[in-house]
Amino acid sequence: MDTFIQLVIDGLALGSVYAALALAIVLVNQSTGLINFSQGAMAVLSAYFAYVLIGWGFPTILAILGSIVVSFLLGAIVERLLIRRFEGGDPDTAVVVTIGLLTLFTGIAGWIWGYNNRQFPSLFPLETVDILGAVVSVRSIGTTLTIVGIMVVLQLLFQGTKLGLALRAVAINPSSAAYSGLPVGRLLMIGWGLAAALGAVAGALVAPALTLTPGMMDTALVYALAAVIIGGLNSPLGAVVAAWGIGVLENLAAVYVPFIGYDLKIAVPFIILFVVLLVRPQGLFGRKVVVRV
Amino acid sequence: MNRMSKLLSNTWVRVAVVVVVAALLLIAPLVLPVFANQTLTRMGVYAVAVLGLNIIMGYTGQVMLGQIFFLGVGAYVTAYGVNNDWNIVVTFFAACILPGLLGLVIALAAARLGGLAIAMVTIALPIIGVPLAKRLTDLTGGSQGTSARFSSAPDWTGLDNDQWQYYMVMVITVIGFVLAYNLVRGKFGRAMAIVRDNEAVARSIGISPYRYKVMAFTIASIFGGASGFLYMVAVQYTSPETMSFAHSISLLAAMVVGGAASIAGSLIGGVYYVLVPQVTNAIDPTVTAISQGIILVAVLFILPGGLVSLPRVIRRLTRKRDTAVATSPQTTSPMHQDAGQAAEGPETERQGQS
Amino acid sequence: MNMRKRYRGVIGVAAMASAVALVVTGCTRGGDTNTGEDGEAAASPGITDDSITFGITSPLTGPTAGPGNCTVDGALAYFGAKNAEGGIEFGDGKTRTVEIKAYDDTYDPQKALANFQQMVAEGVFAAGIGLGTPTNRAWRDAAIDEEIPQVLVMTGDPLFSNREESPWQLGLVATYPQEGEAFGQLLADSGEEHKVAILSQNDDYGEGYVEGFKNAVEGADNIEIVGELTYEATDTSVDGQLTELAASGADVFFNAMSITPLVISALQKAQQLGWNPSWFLPSNTSSPTAILEPGGGAAFPGIYTVAFSEAAASPAFQESEEGQAFMAALGEYTNQDGIPGFPHCVWSWIGAATLEQAFQNMEEPTRESFMDALLNISDFDAPFMLPGAEIDTTIDGIPAVSTVVVQKYNGKGYDTVENFG
Repeated sequence: MDTFIQLVIDGLALGSVYAALALAIVLVNQSTGLINFSQGAMAVLSAYFAYVLIGWGFPTILAILGSIVVSFLLGAIVERLLIRRFEGGDPDTAVVVTIGLLTLFTGIAGWIWGYNNRQFPSLFPLETVDILGAVVSVRSIGTTLTIVGIMVVLQLLFQGTKLGLALRAVAINPSSAAYSGLPVGRLLMIGWGLAAALGAVAGALVAPALTLTPGMMDTALVYALAAVIIGGLNSPLGAVVAAWGIGVLENLAAVYVPFIGYDLKIAVPFIILFVVLLVRPQGLFGRKVVVRV
Repeated sequence: MNRMSKLLSNTWVRVAVVVVVAALLLIAPLVLPVFANQTLTRMGVYAVAVLGLNIIMGYTGQVMLGQIFFLGVGAYVTAYGVNNDWNIVVTFFAACILPGLLGLVIALAAARLGGLAIAMVTIALPIIGVPLAKRLTDLTGGSQGTSARFSSAPDWTGLDNDQWQYYMVMVITVIGFVLAYNLVRGKFGRAMAIVRDNEAVARSIGISPYRYKVMAFTIASIFGGASGFLYMVAVQYTSPETMSFAHSISLLAAMVVGGAASIAGSLIGGVYYVLVPQVTNAIDPTVTAISQGIILVAVLFILPGGLVSLPRVIRRLTRKRDTAVATSPQTTSPMHQDAGQAAEGPETERQGQS
Repeated sequence: MNMRKRYRGVIGVAAMASAVALVVTGCTRGGDTNTGEDGEAAASPGITDDSITFGITSPLTGPTAGPGNCTVDGALAYFGAKNAEGGIEFGDGKTRTVEIKAYDDTYDPQKALANFQQMVAEGVFAAGIGLGTPTNRAWRDAAIDEEIPQVLVMTGDPLFSNREESPWQLGLVATYPQEGEAFGQLLADSGEEHKVAILSQNDDYGEGYVEGFKNAVEGADNIEIVGELTYEATDTSVDGQLTELAASGADVFFNAMSITPLVISALQKAQQLGWNPSWFLPSNTSSPTAILEPGGGAAFPGIYTVAFSEAAASPAFQESEEGQAFMAALGEYTNQDGIPGFPHCVWSWIGAATLEQAFQNMEEPTRESFMDALLNISDFDAPFMLPGAEIDTTIDGIPAVSTVVVQKYNGKGYDTVENFG
C-alpha cells in the first residue's frame, strides 16, 4: 500500500513537469489558435536567461522574475516579427514555423551555453515530508502547487476577464474581432508574451530536476503535447488533469501490469484516453473544439 | 515566365518535356558521381514518405504526427523479409500492406472522432513505436537494430551499387507519384478536398467524411510503408531511432516547406529533407540546428505556400508589373479567401481554412 | 484548367531539379584517382605527402550533443596541438598534419550513413571516434564494402571489435559487458551475502552492462538479484522505478544509466526514500563534480564505478602537465568552455593518441597498412590512463581499451579498489 501511494505521488510530481509546459501550450492555443511546438525551447531559453542572471549574483527568485519579463518580451517580439506573417494563412504553415523555431532556439541555446548539464537552483528545498506513509519532497509539492495556482489563474483569465475573452475572440475569429474594435495585433502579441512568460515559470520549475541543457524540454514537450491533446486544447484544467493522469497511470501500469513494464507504460494513457474519446469525442474537459493544427 | 508558361501548355512540348525528364532520370546515375546518386536515392525515399503524409494531411486536412512510424514499420518488415529469404517482390508488397493494414485499423477507430483524436493517436505512434520495437527483439533486432543487405547490384546489370539502388528507388518513386497524381486529380481528390474544407458540405452532397478519412489515412500509411522499403534499399539498416518523434516532425516540416496539397511539393519536400542537413553540415557541423531553423523559417517567411509556390509567386509578380493591376494576392484577408479562390482558382492549390 | 496548370508544375519542377542536379554536380563519375607512381604502393585517398584526413560523424546537435561534441573536440584538440608542432612523423618517414573533418548526424542512423557517403566523396582516409551504437552500425557494412577503416568508435557494442565480422572496425572504449563484469566480479569475490537491485537503460547499453554483471555473479551463491527494472533513455524521471526497487530491500544497486540528470535525480530520490545501498555507476555517468556532488553521493556507503581514464575534473588531472596541455588545447581548438562535463572529451583525446601510434607505425600510405599498424598496438602508455587499465589492440573481441579498473568514490574523486566494502 505504501508503495502504491508513493507511486501515485511520484506520478503526480512527474505529471506536474508536463503540466507546466502544457499550460503554456494551451495559453497560446487559446489566444492565437495555434499549437506552438517551440514552447519548450522558448522555456529553455528563459531558464538560461535566469541562469545567467543567477550567475551575475541575483537571488534565484529575482532572476526568475527577470527571466519572466524578458520572456514576455521575447514571446511578443516573435509573434510580431515572425508569426504575424502567417496569421490568417494556412495554420499548418504557422505550426511548421514553430517547428523551425524549436530547432533554432535549441540550437541557439547549445551554441551560446554548450551542451553540458548545468545545475539550476531550486526555489524549493529538497527536504521531504511524509504524506500517508509516502515520502514527498518539498520541491515536488512546491512545483505542483505552483502549477495548480497558474491553472486557476488561467481558467479565471479566460472565463472571467475581459482580456481573456478578447484573447479568445481573436483566436477564434480574428476578422470579427477586428470589426468589433479589438486591437487584434496587440492581443496576439500579448497572448504569445503571456505564454512565453508562463513557459519561463515552467522552465524554472523543471530545470532543477532535469538539469539545464538545450534539450531539457524535448521529452517534456512530447508529453505536454499529448496532455494538451488529451485534455482538450481549450481547457487549462483538462491539460493539467491529463498531464497528472499520464504521470500516475503510467507509473501504476508499469508496476502492477507486468506485461506492460516500464518500457511500454507510455502507451497506457493513450489507450485509456482513446477509449474515453470513443465515448466523449471533445476530450475530457473540452467544450466544442476548434482544432487548427 | 509568361511566354514560358504558354510554351509549356502546348501538348507536344509537354510530351517532349516528359521524354527529356525521363531520359535525364535514366541517364543521370550513369554519369553522376557516386555521392550524388546516393543523395538522389535518399531524396526518393523521403519524397514517398512526404507524399503519403501530404495525402492525409495536405489533401484531406487531417493532422498526422506519426508518418515516420509507418516508414519504420515498412523498414522492419523489409528487413524481416530479407533476413528470412522472402522473395523481394513479396517483401515489397508486405512492406506496403502491413503498414497499410495497421493504418486502416487505426483510422477506422480514430477517424470517427474528428481531428483531435487523429492527432492524439498519431502522436502516440512514434512514442509507443520506439519502445515497442525494442521490446520485439526477435522481430526487430532490438535496440541494436537490424541490417538487411539486398540492394547490391546483381552482376548481370554491370551497374555499381549506388546506380542499382538509385534505379530501384527511382522506379518505385515514379510509380508512387504517378499513382498519387492520378488519385488526387480524380474524383477521389475532389472528395478529399471537400472533406478537408467543410465536412458538413461533404455530407450534404453525399460524401462520407469518415470513409474518405479512413481511405486517405490508409493510403498514407501504405506510402509510408513503401518509403520504409525504399529506406532499406538506400540505408540497409534500421533501428528504433529511425522512427523517433523528432523525425516525424521533420517530415511534417518537409511537407509544408515543399508545399502542402501538392504532388510536386512532396518531391521538393523529399529533396529538402535530405539536402538541408547536408548543406548545413557543410556550413558548420556544430551549428546545424541554428542553420536548419533559419532556413526553415526563412523559406516559409518568403514563401508561405512552400517552395512549390515559387513559380506562382514569380508569375504573380511579373504579371502585376505587366498589367499594373493591383490584385495584391498576399493581402487577401482570410475572410475573403473563398472569393479569391474562385477568381484565382488555378493559381491556388490550397488556401487556408478560416 | 486547374489540373493542367498543376501538371505543368510537376514537370517544370522535375525538369528544373534534374537540370540543376546535372549542372551543379558538373563532374562525371571518376575512376580511381590515386594511381600509384613509380612502383610505390598506391596511396589510399585522403593521404598526401604532408597531410591526412580523418572523418568523424557524431551527434553535434540534439539530445546527445553533449557527449557527441566531446568525441570530436578531444581529437580536434589533440591533433590541433600536434599540427601546431609541425605534424606527426609517419612510419614511412614523412611528416604529415592530421585534418579532422566533423559531421553532425544528430544520432540519426540514416544521417550517419549519409555523412559516411559524403566522407567517401570528399576522400577521407579513415573515419571513426564518433558516438553511438545505431549510428555507427548504420555505416558499418558500407565501411567494410568500401574498405575504409571505421576505428576507435565510441560505443561499447562488442560487434565492432569482432575481427572476423568487422575487419575494418575497432572499438575504443571498453565494451558494456566488460564494465558490468568487472564490478560483478568484485561483488562476487567479496564473499558476503548481497541482494542486488538492477536498473538499466532499455537498449544495448543497459543490456550489455547487465549481461556482463550477470555473467560474473553467475554461480556465486552469495549474490541474489532481487529486482530488475528498465527505463527509457528519453524518460524525464525514474522515481517510479526507484520507489519499486527501494521496496525490494536490496543493499547493492546496479544502475546502468547513461543520462546525467536521471542519475542525479536517482541519487536524490533514493535518499528521500531512505534507501542507502552501495551503488554502481557506469564510466560515463560517474563524474564526481557533475553528478555525485549535486546528487549527494556522499550519503551512500559506497559508490563504485568502472573506469579506465582519469577524470578531467580531478585536481590531479588539472595539476598535471599533460592535463594542462589538454585544457589549453581544448580551449584553443574547440568550443568547449572550461572543464568538459562528459568524459568523452578525454576518451577522444586517448583515441587520438592511439591513432597517432598507428600513424607512426604505418609503413605505407594505405588503409591496409594503417589497419595493420592500428591492430598491433600493445604496451602503449596512453595519456590519462589509470594504473591498471591499458590500451591493447591485439586481442580479438576486445576494443582498444582492453582492461578496466573498479573505483570507489571518496567524497571528492575516485580511488581504485581491489575489494568490495
